[in-house]
Amino acid sequence: MGVIQFENVGKIFGSRASGFEALKDINLEIRDKEFVAIVGPSGCGKTTCLRMVAGFEDATDGTVSVDGTPIKRPGPDRAVVFQQFALFPWKSVYDNIDLGLRNLNVGSAERSKRIAAILELMNLTHYAKHFPHQLSGGMQQRVAIARAYVLDPDVLLMDEPFGALDAQTRVVMQEELVRLARKNPRTVLFITHAVEEAVYLADRVAIMTRAPGRIKEVLDVASIRNAEDWDSHEKIEDVMDLESFVHLRTHIWRSLREEKAAQHA
Amino acid sequence: MPRRVSIGLATIAVAFVLWFGLTTVFGIIPSGRFPSPAETWSALVHVSGRGYGGGDLTLHVYNSLRLVVMGFLFAIATGGPLGLLMGWSRRAEAVINPIFLIIRPIPPLAWIPLAILWLGLGDAAKIMVIWFSAFVPSVINTFAGVRNIDRPVLEAAYMLGMPKFRFVTEVLVPGASPMIFTGLRLSLQASWTTLVAAELVGAFYGIGRVLNVAQQDLYPGMILVGMIAVAILGWGTTRILGLAEARALRWNTAALAAKG
Repeated sequence: MGVIQFENVGKIFGSRASGFEALKDINLEIRDKEFVAIVGPSGCGKTTCLRMVAGFEDATDGTVSVDGTPIKRPGPDRAVVFQQFALFPWKSVYDNIDLGLRNLNVGSAERSKRIAAILELMNLTHYAKHFPHQLSGGMQQRVAIARAYVLDPDVLLMDEPFGALDAQTRVVMQEELVRLARKNPRTVLFITHAVEEAVYLADRVAIMTRAPGRIKEVLDVASIRNAEDWDSHEKIEDVMDLESFVHLRTHIWRSLREEKAAQHA
Repeated sequence: MPRRVSIGLATIAVAFVLWFGLTTVFGIIPSGRFPSPAETWSALVHVSGRGYGGGDLTLHVYNSLRLVVMGFLFAIATGGPLGLLMGWSRRAEAVINPIFLIIRPIPPLAWIPLAILWLGLGDAAKIMVIWFSAFVPSVINTFAGVRNIDRPVLEAAYMLGMPKFRFVTEVLVPGASPMIFTGLRLSLQASWTTLVAAELVGAFYGIGRVLNVAQQDLYPGMILVGMIAVAILGWGTTRILGLAEARALRWNTAALAAKG
């Protein structure tokens, strides 16, 4: 299972009286095996939402829970993929992926089987012995995704994972993530400021307001995706050309622009 | 032979020729001020054969090297873990740091009189003084190394549910290791400086002892032999440390090369 629940969640950095109010009254339930993307203007607290699920930050108000258990600390049941990859530069690709499994006390035969499978799936088989810095950004992020997926986590948390990649690599990674997510569905919380990415990847897209961030609107993409059969198109640009896609994208853009305008007013 | 090495050798050759010319051929520098190559050589033969200042060269070198290695190892074995602890725990830092702020400005050499008072002229006093001088750079650099580890890398480790011991050995130590090695190099240099100074003040054997006796005997050739011996030992031990560093930090050289 992997149900993520935000109940009346608020977050204030610093003291209640003079601190910065980042989030207010966040209510969101992410169902098991559902892929939810949060988009919002920069500084709206979307990354803070993810960090609370990961256990890196505490909620000031309300509760964040997974499968009904409030989150206390980070753990391998909630694997994180970071924007800056955050691989261990002193470990080889193989050892980076292996570490989490060793921490879970998985037997060595089982470990090598699972690592071989994920390396294969992420096209990394020939790079097992490389150090992270010998790889391109896209490859490093693939290792980071492999490191998270190999744990077979209930919940996968992705914090602008493709934000540091160039445009072409980004597209390839988005296609690969869709392939991975269809083959091996997980509960995914995906943070991004890229609207098209959110619409392409997610089952639902939550739009946040500027700080203090609240959830303004949640769009159901999956029903449209299924109705219009987006998955029959292999390439991302074909999907992005569809009228239903453009319509959703424009809707989100408008919504975000309102936030931007409010910010400047 | 790489170009750098050949240029370096050429520089040394020119310096030697200059030395020979100034002291021996033209006699511009009198031998009472600075020894000629021939005088230095005969001093070397003297200390290696009959011995000087209480023993032959091997005995002096062996004693100095032994003390440096012991003091250095003792310092890093205590300083490294303390630096890790301070880097890891803000509370430990808050407790320990004030003591450091008081001790740090005291030059290590200022501990020599106290060390001799407590422990006499033997090995123990010198190991203690070396420990004082080498301890501080290893603590401070290890501490800074831990604090320099990227925050997301630490968060990735928490996320992977690392057991404590493994977190120290596989994340904190390797993450801090580039700075740890910087600390080791500074500690090693400090060890040699302090040892020679301590032996100058009082010792039965050792290169500092040779230097001290040669000064009292007005024996410039022997002084230079002692200085060269320290230079070679310092260079050799640093080199061994450098090889260990290159081996341990292979991942980091790759990282630096990638950053350009």
